[in-house]
Amino acid sequence: MRSFSLFVVSVLLSCTALGQSKGFQPVKNVQEFQATLSKSNASVNTISSDFSQTKNLTLLADKIKSKGKFFFKKEDKVRIEYTSPYTYLLVMNAGQIAVKDEQKTSKINTKNSKTMQSVNRIMIDCMRGTVLNNPDFKASVFENGNNYLLSLAPVNESMKKMFKSIDVYLSKKNFDVDRLVMMEQGGDFTDMDFSHTQHNIALNDALFKVK
Amino acid sequence: MTHYLRLSSVFLFLFFFACAAPYKDLQQQSAPTSSVLKFKPVFDKVLYRCVVDGRVVFKRFHLSGLLFFKTMEDGSTRAVFQNEMGLTFFDFEWNADDSFQVNKIIPQLDKVAVIKILEKDMNLLLMKKLDRQTETVFTSGKEKYHRFDLQKGVAYYIVNEGKLVRIENAGKSKVITITLGNKGAEKAMPASVFFNHHKANFTIDLKKIESDADE
Repeated sequence: MRSFSLFVVSVLLSCTALGQSKGFQPVKNVQEFQATLSKSNASVNTISSDFSQTKNLTLLADKIKSKGKFFFKKEDKVRIEYTSPYTYLLVMNAGQIAVKDEQKTSKINTKNSKTMQSVNRIMIDCMRGTVLNNPDFKASVFENGNNYLLSLAPVNESMKKMFKSIDVYLSKKNFDVDRLVMMEQGGDFTDMDFSHTQHNIALNDALFKVK
Repeated sequence: MTHYLRLSSVFLFLFFFACAAPYKDLQQQSAPTSSVLKFKPVFDKVLYRCVVDGRVVFKRFHLSGLLFFKTMEDGSTRAVFQNEMGLTFFDFEWNADDSFQVNKIIPQLDKVAVIKILEKDMNLLLMKKLDRQTETVFTSGKEKYHRFDLQKGVAYYIVNEGKLVRIENAGKSKVITITLGNKGAEKAMPASVFFNHHKANFTIDLKKIESDADE
């Protein structure tokens, strides 16, 4: 299915963070950071948040903006719902991925595709804080006064052609994902800012099903 | 059996007749008329919701995203298609002289045939690479057909009651029909565009999004 490749890209975008910014220094003890991150995330069963997305078209000196809602439920359920200026829904649930645009719903079983497994994993890893263990990306960890920055460089050649890096900004206060940026080859990038993040609120399983 | 063969031959005749001569009944207009190029779109930037549906052999495909058109300060035009989550699928550019180039395209779409089709679609919609010297006007009922010779085949820009409503690309038979919805002002980009590729067997549906992009 041709929408498959588009979809791969879509999912990766949801794991974006700011590219390595100025003012960030390498974290000295990565193992300690990882242990703290895992401990923090162990207590988080659900995440609910708003997001605003800005696609920066560098050469066109222009931006395309959208916004929506993000939900995560352990162990492996994700819902990304664009509400404005268009509607678009992406749901990941137990190895199944579904996307719904204004006209159609498409479902993909990641078990049939190594690439999709990789995409599924990076998405979940971002939310669970286990992204440093992902073999498909070379991860570097930086910090400044307010944030940790996980900079992920794709190892896979086909992924490399699509984007340069995925950067995840975590709040130092509570390890929430504050911001995701996907840098494409050529300079365009997509910036997702998360706000009104809530932990451990009740999320109905129906949120993670697409009809 | 004879009856069946006779019936089949009638259908075959009708089929070939319909395919081969979709513009047979057009009447060439001799009276002078203004060029359809007055409808050539002029815009700063326009964003469309884009849905593509089609079939290759027995496999159906469906994809959606955003198509962004922008006129640059140097007079060039850009068309960027990305998915909803921001990843760019292609970035096409026409310079001020309508010369076309691909700035970026993902490997999955980077095929000569695909690029040619997309370029032609955009050329037809944006009314690029049309030679005014070849413009000939025909009528069919209330509609005026402005025909231009293309490098391959012809393009018809169809005007109904003073509004540009449809664009058709044809060779020996109809290749593409582009239906324009609510074009508004003469030089405005339409609120909706529907490309129907009769031979390549896919459609592109564009719906304009307001309040979308900003500098």
